[in-house]
Amino acid sequence: MAGSRRESGLKRAHFVEPRVAALLLLPQLAILLLFFFIPSIRALAQSFLLADPFGARVQFVWFDNFTALFRSAEYHESIWVTVWFTLAQSILTLAIAGVLAFATDRVIRLRGTYKMVLLLPYAIAPAIAGILWAFLFNPAVGPIAHALHTIGIGWDPNLNAADALILVTLAATWKHICYDYIFLVAALLALPPSLLEAAAVDGAGPLRRFFLIALPMISPTIFFLTVMNFVYGFFDTFAIIDAVTRGGPAGATNILVYKVYQDGFVNLDLGSSAAQSVILMLSALTLTLLQFRYVERKVNYDV
Amino acid sequence: MTFGRNLLLGGVLLGLAAAPASAQRVEVQWWHAMGGVLGERVNELVKGFNEAQDKYTVVAVNKGNYDEVINGTIAAYRAKRHPHLVQIYERGFMTMLLSDAVVPVHQLMKEQKYDVDWSDFIKPVAGFYTYKGNLMTMPFNSSTPILWYNKDQFAKAGFEKPAATWQEFEKQLYAIKAKGAAECGTALANDYFWSLIENYSAINDQPFATRSNGFEGIDTEFVYNKTKVVGQVTRLKKWLDDGVLQLAGTGLSPQQLFASGKCATYISSTADHGAMERNATIPWSATFLPHEADVATPRNSTIGGATIWVLKGHKAEEYAGVAAFFNHLASPRTQVWWHKVTGYVPLTNAAYKMARDEGYYTQNPTREIAVLQLGRGTPTENSMGFRFGNFTQTTFALRQEMEAVMTGKKQPQQALDDSVRRGNEILRQFEKLNQGKY
Repeated sequence: MAGSRRESGLKRAHFVEPRVAALLLLPQLAILLLFFFIPSIRALAQSFLLADPFGARVQFVWFDNFTALFRSAEYHESIWVTVWFTLAQSILTLAIAGVLAFATDRVIRLRGTYKMVLLLPYAIAPAIAGILWAFLFNPAVGPIAHALHTIGIGWDPNLNAADALILVTLAATWKHICYDYIFLVAALLALPPSLLEAAAVDGAGPLRRFFLIALPMISPTIFFLTVMNFVYGFFDTFAIIDAVTRGGPAGATNILVYKVYQDGFVNLDLGSSAAQSVILMLSALTLTLLQFRYVERKVNYDV
Repeated sequence: MTFGRNLLLGGVLLGLAAAPASAQRVEVQWWHAMGGVLGERVNELVKGFNEAQDKYTVVAVNKGNYDEVINGTIAAYRAKRHPHLVQIYERGFMTMLLSDAVVPVHQLMKEQKYDVDWSDFIKPVAGFYTYKGNLMTMPFNSSTPILWYNKDQFAKAGFEKPAATWQEFEKQLYAIKAKGAAECGTALANDYFWSLIENYSAINDQPFATRSNGFEGIDTEFVYNKTKVVGQVTRLKKWLDDGVLQLAGTGLSPQQLFASGKCATYISSTADHGAMERNATIPWSATFLPHEADVATPRNSTIGGATIWVLKGHKAEEYAGVAAFFNHLASPRTQVWWHKVTGYVPLTNAAYKMARDEGYYTQNPTREIAVLQLGRGTPTENSMGFRFGNFTQTTFALRQEMEAVMTGKKQPQQALDDSVRRGNEILRQFEKLNQGKY
């Protein structure tokens, strides 16, 4: 194919000097070293230690921190909460963003305004967004909670584990829809209009056009967003949990990343916290590899 | 290299800029956790000291909440860029004591030739922070929980004031709700584990843990799953189910539930005086915490709050500044001022006497409750206080298990058993690491 030949020609012509390539990579590698490799190695080392927070006394305890975690009922619960939360959040975000993107793609009047309104939540700091949601749904003073009570739903995220999990899932989803939305809108814009028009001429309605033509063609974007949503759910939802439920009630929303923070920075149990972050890192890595290995096969890049 | 040189240059420039101010004065850095109005009071305190003499300047920096301050301190100490003074909450006592990073306050004051009458410090405060007969850290903000109530709502239900026992108090709260005097009986404070579990144990002379609640050794074990605490938790759960007790949850402060007139009572720190006086739109008053009907002599309650720890590794003249600041802080005049503007208890008997002689308590009777409640009777091994390693972590486990009761996931007995089991595992970790240190 013409494209790939041009690409390899480019490589040979411009990168005969490997030192230039290394130099260009250096800034990125330096950042990775400082903010990823060094902290990861230190976390790995810490996960085998029992240490007082000031570092005055340190004991090497082999895998004690890990075995303690696998024995702990709270940790098992945290794993399940994380799985549910991340799955629900990913699917919900993608579905809603997909509908909105397809809908605004068809709107002609005020398209810019719609898009701007839809993007607003992304500009709000997660902690502020979290407090907003916590207040709106607070069973004692929140207007939405009040509305739910009047229609006979006994909403109380302080005392009901399911309510709390629903609340943080909704808040996290709301915050992340914009991200997925931008990518989906861009992907839809890149579709050749002739294909969709041809389908319309052949009598396919908007839904058929979406599911049979648009969806398969934007599958690379959807795959990318699925990976990003998982990463978001795993790591970036910390601030929302902290503001909305603080992991409660009784650990109902205590996702793994929040537990890492809670045990490390509040409870000062550095060994356990490091062990948890190592496990979290490995599972995120495994998950992403699996996604690339199995899901990516179904993705069609040949548009 | 350039980066390093720039940093160096920046440092030099900064040093030059700061030079005129610090040429004569020695600077003492103090990291604290007092936000809002309390933060303003800390600034006034420091300003008072800085203006009263011309040798030292104390610089007070708010580093966030208590958790953030202790975290920042640890990170700074490990990087050898720590301040002279840090305000650490009472739950961090053992961590700080065994950190090898601190100078005990009694030693510092002796080295700096200040003759402090430590015996004048009020017992419940000094006792909490004394190790092997010596005060290890400078007491700063100490409080104890008291019972706040809405006078109108009690009168409407036909009561003069809250009853002295939990049994009678319970009847009152149910009557208040039944008669419609208030929507709810009491609001649950965020630090309920401190007021309704720990202080409850002290007042009713119930052991919280073996070895005098940890004072005698780090081989201490929690036992509160075998005491009246089980009944207390069962009672709170019943109140919650009956709508007598209300939770605020995130997004709302429980104090608002009381201050707005929604709940008739609120059990929380005496340090809420400042906020009550400013925010409450209701006719409030306060009284002693209730005790069990079958406990003939209720004991003293215990303190909460924080102290100022002195960190190692600074210059001698800076420690002279620290000592001068502590001397200023402990003076009766400063203490009475602090007591009045914040609601925290005065640290010394001299300060308490000064406030009393002024007639302050005749005008503000609720301000004396905490002092009287703390000093009530002779402390037993169950009411001296609480001294546990990894205390924040064991408290976290207790709170999680309490939430399991509130959400109906566990029965009180089972939750307390689990809390004690988890807490003891945490205590054993601390014992393993600090064997022979305490």
